[in-house]
Amino acid sequence: MEKKSFIKKLTGSREALLAAVLLVLFIVVTVINPSFLTVKSLMDMLKNNAVTMVMALGMLCVMLVGGIDISIMSTLALSGMSIGMLLKNDVIASTPLAFLIAIAIGICCGLAVGLVISRADVPPIIATMGFMYVFRAMGYLVSNGGQWAGAAALGDFKKFATTKFLGINCVIWVVILCYAFFFWFMKWTRTGRMIYAVGSNPSAAQVSGINVKNIKLLVYVIMGLLSGLGGALQVSVYASAMPDMQYGGEMDVIAACVIGGVSMSGGRGSVLGALLGSLILATIAKALPLIPFFDQLWLNTIKGVIILVVVVMNVVLQRIADKNALKGREM
Amino acid sequence: MSEYVLELKGITKIFPGVKALNNVQFQLKPGEVHALMGENGAGKSTFIKVITGVHKAEEGEMFLNGQKVDFKGPKDAQAAGIAAVYQHPTSYPHLTVAENIFMGHEIIKHKMIQWKTMNTEANKLLAQLDADFDATAEMGTLSVAQQQMVEIAKAMSTNAKIIILDEPTAALTRSESEKLYTLVDKLKEEGVSIIFISHRFEDMYRLASRVTVFRDSQYIGTYDVNEITNADLIKAMVGREIKDLFPKPEVKLGQEMLRVENLSRLGYFKDISFHIKAGEILGLTGLVGAGRTEVVEAVCGITRPDSGKVYLEGKEIHIKQPSDAMEKGIILLPEDRQKEGLIMSWGLGRNVTLPTISKYAKTGLNDEKTERDLAKKLLEEVDTKAVDIFQPASSLSGGNQQKVVVAKALSQEMKVVIMDEPTKGVDVGAKAEIYAIMGDLAKKGYAIILISSEMPEILGMADRIVVMCNGRKTGELGREEASQERILELAMEKSGGKEASE
Amino acid sequence: MAGKSGRSINNVPESSIKRMIFSWEGILILIFIAVNIFCAMFSEFYNVSSLLRQMPVYLAEVFLMLPMAYILVLGEIDISVGSIVCLSATVCCIVCNMNAPFIVVVLTGLLVGTACGAVNGFILTKFTELPPMIVTLATQIIFRGIAEITLGSGGSITMSNLDGFNAIGGKVGQVPYILFLVVILAVVFAIILGKSTFGRRVYAIGTNRLTAYYSGVHVQKIRMIIYTVMGTVSGLCAIFLLSSSFGANTTTGNGFEMDAIAMAVFGGISSTGGKGNIAGGVIAAFIIVCLRVGLGQQNVHAQVILLIIGVLLIAAVALPNIIGQVRRAVKTK
Repeated sequence: MEKKSFIKKLTGSREALLAAVLLVLFIVVTVINPSFLTVKSLMDMLKNNAVTMVMALGMLCVMLVGGIDISIMSTLALSGMSIGMLLKNDVIASTPLAFLIAIAIGICCGLAVGLVISRADVPPIIATMGFMYVFRAMGYLVSNGGQWAGAAALGDFKKFATTKFLGINCVIWVVILCYAFFFWFMKWTRTGRMIYAVGSNPSAAQVSGINVKNIKLLVYVIMGLLSGLGGALQVSVYASAMPDMQYGGEMDVIAACVIGGVSMSGGRGSVLGALLGSLILATIAKALPLIPFFDQLWLNTIKGVIILVVVVMNVVLQRIADKNALKGREM
Repeated sequence: MSEYVLELKGITKIFPGVKALNNVQFQLKPGEVHALMGENGAGKSTFIKVITGVHKAEEGEMFLNGQKVDFKGPKDAQAAGIAAVYQHPTSYPHLTVAENIFMGHEIIKHKMIQWKTMNTEANKLLAQLDADFDATAEMGTLSVAQQQMVEIAKAMSTNAKIIILDEPTAALTRSESEKLYTLVDKLKEEGVSIIFISHRFEDMYRLASRVTVFRDSQYIGTYDVNEITNADLIKAMVGREIKDLFPKPEVKLGQEMLRVENLSRLGYFKDISFHIKAGEILGLTGLVGAGRTEVVEAVCGITRPDSGKVYLEGKEIHIKQPSDAMEKGIILLPEDRQKEGLIMSWGLGRNVTLPTISKYAKTGLNDEKTERDLAKKLLEEVDTKAVDIFQPASSLSGGNQQKVVVAKALSQEMKVVIMDEPTKGVDVGAKAEIYAIMGDLAKKGYAIILISSEMPEILGMADRIVVMCNGRKTGELGREEASQERILELAMEKSGGKEASE
Repeated sequence: MAGKSGRSINNVPESSIKRMIFSWEGILILIFIAVNIFCAMFSEFYNVSSLLRQMPVYLAEVFLMLPMAYILVLGEIDISVGSIVCLSATVCCIVCNMNAPFIVVVLTGLLVGTACGAVNGFILTKFTELPPMIVTLATQIIFRGIAEITLGSGGSITMSNLDGFNAIGGKVGQVPYILFLVVILAVVFAIILGKSTFGRRVYAIGTNRLTAYYSGVHVQKIRMIIYTVMGTVSGLCAIFLLSSSFGANTTTGNGFEMDAIAMAVFGGISSTGGKGNIAGGVIAAFIIVCLRVGLGQQNVHAQVILLIIGVLLIAAVALPNIIGQVRRAVKTK
């Protein structure tokens, strides 16, 4: 096979392109504000974006089968609020237990979503739109109509976000472990590859004996699990549990995946892509306030524009690629 | 010990409203290459799906090496050593070749997929097939012929003892077909028994020792390839002499209706020119992938050509969208009647009137009474076997569905009627009726372009035949000079200069 | 024509009272009656006049269901609707506070809505590969984002000049103007969808886009029109919303898209396209409006109401599917 030129390899691989973009962003930000490139600053950035980064892995799985989940932050709020209240009312005090409960709640939510989508054939956008409101409302009910758990009430739990293990913050360890696990799971296990297969060609997958319904159920359970984990992380990092936590935050997760090259129609995307996408998003969020005339109010609009530009660019690039493929056909 | 490696008896398969297989039988000897032939809709594809466990037959039995087997799903068949390579690749476009080959039976050690080993093994298989691509290539970037090779590699990777090929040469060039023949020979040497479905007599003579014919969901007979003639085979497949089938009336030709000059569309077709007169039936043929449908779709406004001119009745026209063509009287009956020609869940009447509803709608509101009357008239004119105009199109047989598509065309002002594979999947009786309609339309002075892959049909109905190959027009034949061999010659690629015809 | 076998095909449609009662709309009417009885039982304040008095604030959203029905029949979705309402309302307040005449304010609102809808339509028809969900997800953020920027750090704005808005919030006897307009608009949208050539084509696109295209339907033109009208009606909704809220903030219109979709889907419009009609959507809309009024009187938390609507949305799509599966399973036994 002929060796591809460096440029071709760069543009051919989405991940390579993203890494280059990230590098450029880092350079630009460091030039504007040299304190960006310090260990502390980078660690802080990772810590503050941990929730988005972890949940991007779940969204990757969901999008790989061609689905979407906009209920994720409601699941996060529900599980975060639940453990917040449990800690506040001294029902539990142990940090690992809190994490387990949050994850368990997340799994239950994901199970509900997954069953409705895979068994009752409800389109994902509609199912998760409904659950978005259902879970968020449940979070409010858990909080007895708007109470919240403050730093004091959380006791030792909030120490999780400030403890270090081997010099790296625990929260960051969670991110590292999640990414390591999913990198192995998506590339090296049969189940992981089945997720790709279902997204790439569901009818072929069905015929070849893959249980498409169960794979679809699985991805939403994974998403729920990570949302529950996200809830615990959120409460710990921000040392508070409020019923309106991360309201609208699902857009960041979706944006991270879209930027990371995960296709909405399924079959295409990688753990590395999700990682790079969320890092790029985090860097942009950090970079924007450094621009002199930037107003915090513009943040959301910019995120929306980025998503739009990326998906339109995907289409444009695909059209160009298709046209080139046609040119290659001898007539 | 049975003398057959695979035997099926009394297989009947019923789908809602349709008997796809009616008490068919089949025997496959070990190490033989056995052709399965028959017209479209005869039941060959359904039969293959029964063998591979995709469908379960309502009646009948299947024996593998003398033992009765009962497949609950495709995985059982696969485990039993049966693999099929279908006409439309059932592959994962986003995944690599190696992954496609090993999907479902990946090489795993310590719970991890061994990518390196898989790639090496896949490359070994690909080398055996003389492939020109690597196991790490992305499936979606391969050509149809290459994808087919991967499918065959997939079958080989499961150590299948019975491999079924569904129309393996349909999308291949001549040189690629030759490669396939060599491959089949190799598989035979390794003791694999092969069933293949094909429309090409050439394939059959070259590869098979015996041929089984299905017609109208029934088993007609099994013959030795050496002992049967083309004419006998056609008779078995079609049920009557070719001549009886095609009532092409003698029609006096009128003025030029449509002329296409140097039509080109990047990647699909180049420099296509032809013309057609009123009352004429122009056959447009070639192998799958030749670009015929793409050409007519460009004429009808479905897609836009990059260059070239189209003239209607001598005047140049510019078609930008389907409604432009329809307004000018260029009507297309699309190739895929279920996906492009009809709305399956809609009633017959609404299907027929869809293109023309604004014609009898004053102030934008539908005139349902006029619609219903018109639909009834047209559906009766083409003799559709239906009870009322409200029944869904999905409730009709293939032949009747096609008649609804014809009725839909008749509802419009026509000058040029383009029929793309109108008798695909249609039973013999309805076929004859459609040919009769075609003849009538010609008599009435319309110009008809008939796209077809079926030799008998083209030879029987067309006044002139245009042959395409790989996006180019390779020849034009008059009714008298045309023959199956001549057409096939023009339809298949000449690699490196003129090849002597066989 | 050849081959005439003299067979006659029936073209007279049969109608049946029985079929009408057991249709989805019939069931909805029963649910509507049941909901009203339920609300009346639980609250002494629930009667026709209090209903009419408290309806208007919830009726504004019903407008949104009408074009949303078209979008759903197309087999698509628009989740930027709530943000369009927010942006329209915000701009209206600003223009109002500049002491512009009422008619200008109204036109501004409609114009902003139309522009937003046209943006959606433009992107979707120029890049047909893009799923409507992701495009409207992005524009949802962008439109609300623009509203946030416009509202500034305060995040909210109140109208200073309330004359015109008070007027449109008025009534004829006990019946509020908005109710009349909702009914009129519903009738118009229903007739166009069910009885016009435009509507027939919308159903065609939603059932089989390819066949519709091959049959000469101007698919992209129709999509553009529908998304633009969705925007215009969102502007209308914003105006009527202002007549009871007299101001806008960054959360205005939150959840409106879910409500619109829930009303339509609950009303029998299939979320995958090609089926359903506006009559069902209207009945479903009124069921939800009455529920809101009734539960509101009971001081049920706003979040719980959202929960109920969320459940209704999921159930409206899930239950028919599950029942269908059970039926098929029983048949093949």
